[in-house]
Amino acid sequence: MGNRNRILLVEDEETLAVGLEYNLKKEGYAVTRVSDGKKALESFRTKSFDLILLDIMIPFVDGFEVARRIREESPQMPILVLSARSRAKDRIKGLEIGVDDYLVKPFHLKELLLRVAGMLKRKKWYRSSVEKSPVYRFGANTINFGDLTARSGKGVLRLTFHEAMVLKYLMDRRGKVVSRRELLENIWQIHAEVETRTVDAFIVRLRKYFEPNPEKPVFIKSIRSAGYLFTDA
Amino acid sequence: MRKHQSLQYILIFIVAQIAWLSLLGLWIYRYVTSYVHVADAGPELYRQWISGKADVLALVGGLVLLVAISVGMSLLYARLNSQLKITQLYDTFIANVTHELKSPLASIQLALETLRERRISRPKQQEFVRLMLQDTNRLNSLINAILEIAGLEQKKIAHRFEVHGADAVIRTLAREAAEQFQLPKRAFEIRGSAPCRCVADRDALKMVFNNIFDNAVKYSSGSPEIRVNYHCTSNTLTIDFKDRGIGIPSHDLKNIFKKFHRVHDRDAPSVKGTGLGLYWVREIIRHHGGRTSVFSDGKNRGSTFRVELPVYRPSKKNRINRLLEIARQMPRQPDGKDGDSRG
Repeated sequence: MGNRNRILLVEDEETLAVGLEYNLKKEGYAVTRVSDGKKALESFRTKSFDLILLDIMIPFVDGFEVARRIREESPQMPILVLSARSRAKDRIKGLEIGVDDYLVKPFHLKELLLRVAGMLKRKKWYRSSVEKSPVYRFGANTINFGDLTARSGKGVLRLTFHEAMVLKYLMDRRGKVVSRRELLENIWQIHAEVETRTVDAFIVRLRKYFEPNPEKPVFIKSIRSAGYLFTDA
Repeated sequence: MRKHQSLQYILIFIVAQIAWLSLLGLWIYRYVTSYVHVADAGPELYRQWISGKADVLALVGGLVLLVAISVGMSLLYARLNSQLKITQLYDTFIANVTHELKSPLASIQLALETLRERRISRPKQQEFVRLMLQDTNRLNSLINAILEIAGLEQKKIAHRFEVHGADAVIRTLAREAAEQFQLPKRAFEIRGSAPCRCVADRDALKMVFNNIFDNAVKYSSGSPEIRVNYHCTSNTLTIDFKDRGIGIPSHDLKNIFKKFHRVHDRDAPSVKGTGLGLYWVREIIRHHGGRTSVFSDGKNRGSTFRVELPVYRPSKKNRINRLLEIARQMPRQPDGKDGDSRG
């Protein structure tokens, strides 16, 4: 009972929230349900959670702002956005703020549950995989995968959990081309080709952090029609 | 309509450009000819030059053209500005409608998939069915509101106007709205007396009550409270709906009944709505020959929506009798919708 993953569900649509809470509880998660941004931030600060399911159009403090404030305090907290907004600019905005995944309403129950399970599993795997040697260096950059901090030529910054996972995945395969599909399947466990924008948005952010000139990347290179290649040479 | 407006802008722009170039040409011509004359004839001609008729005409003409350019540019700017505002409102409306359509749809899909994927107890099944019906009602209301807005604007909606006793219709509709929004007894109060009659389409008036109640509920931070006060004079039946919600900022008061307009308040306890609800209210009351207004003392001090309807008097040959006449001639309009957002 005590080992159950705890999920903060932020959804103001009562009927949807009831269905989500029921299904998440059936999967064995402990769920705290709130209906607005203020309560979401209060709950986040007073309780401990393993994942946050977040709607965007919520009262008082909107979902983007909630995600931004949570990111400031907890870069590792997995955040999955559920939103009716399907425009590319909304998705990109969410990913830029640091949400880890974005699911558009209406969604399939199985897909949602898979993504939640995947995010929690990867969080666990990530923690165990970086436990022994958490610090990596390339160029003028130092990455601490343990506490998700990084030092680059541009100063000290904090990575989100998914940013760190993407970077680590590429670094573990240095010198090899990694396709967008591979990243999607292994980091996000998504099998849809339409979601490749998600990967691109993360790569853009990583380049902004660590490349001396993000327009002409030397560490994370794009390989046309193939994917991305990490090299620290 | 849009094509016509675009042509108008282009025309204004072309006229402004012609005016500007003409002015420039005129001034260049004047400078060159004056320079030649002065150089040739010297100071003798200077006096003629400054007092000459042609110069006065050129100066006046220049000023007129300048004014024309300014007016043209101002018109162009004002039109473009209003067009931009309409486009922004339209974008917001689309975003809101998308949210309002997709949210109940997501909920229905989730409930159906849950029923399919899981073994659920009978009471829980009933609960999911109830939630789904709640969502289908919401979708139905929204779709009706959007589809019928054009009809209302083009006066294609056939209202069934009838003469009602003001007391009875107001009290019944207010109680029905309070029941619909599940307001506890202490949160709802109706006061007043109106020994007069009014001409109204009861279903349309129900929409008005429901939309105003819906707003009060959505925009109350705590438990909503609504007080309905009404009275009539010899000409006008006045109904005030006073809530204790978050109030309306003064700059929003004049726009609140406009189509697609929504109050953007970070402290608003609800983000639901399309910006059509109060527009509906205004249009329906306008069709009844009445008027709507709103007052608020500011933030967190509640707001009062006022509906004024003309009092019916059989002897009076006025708009009300014409409405009754039209209602007798037109077929019945099917049931409408209720509940929308502030603005």
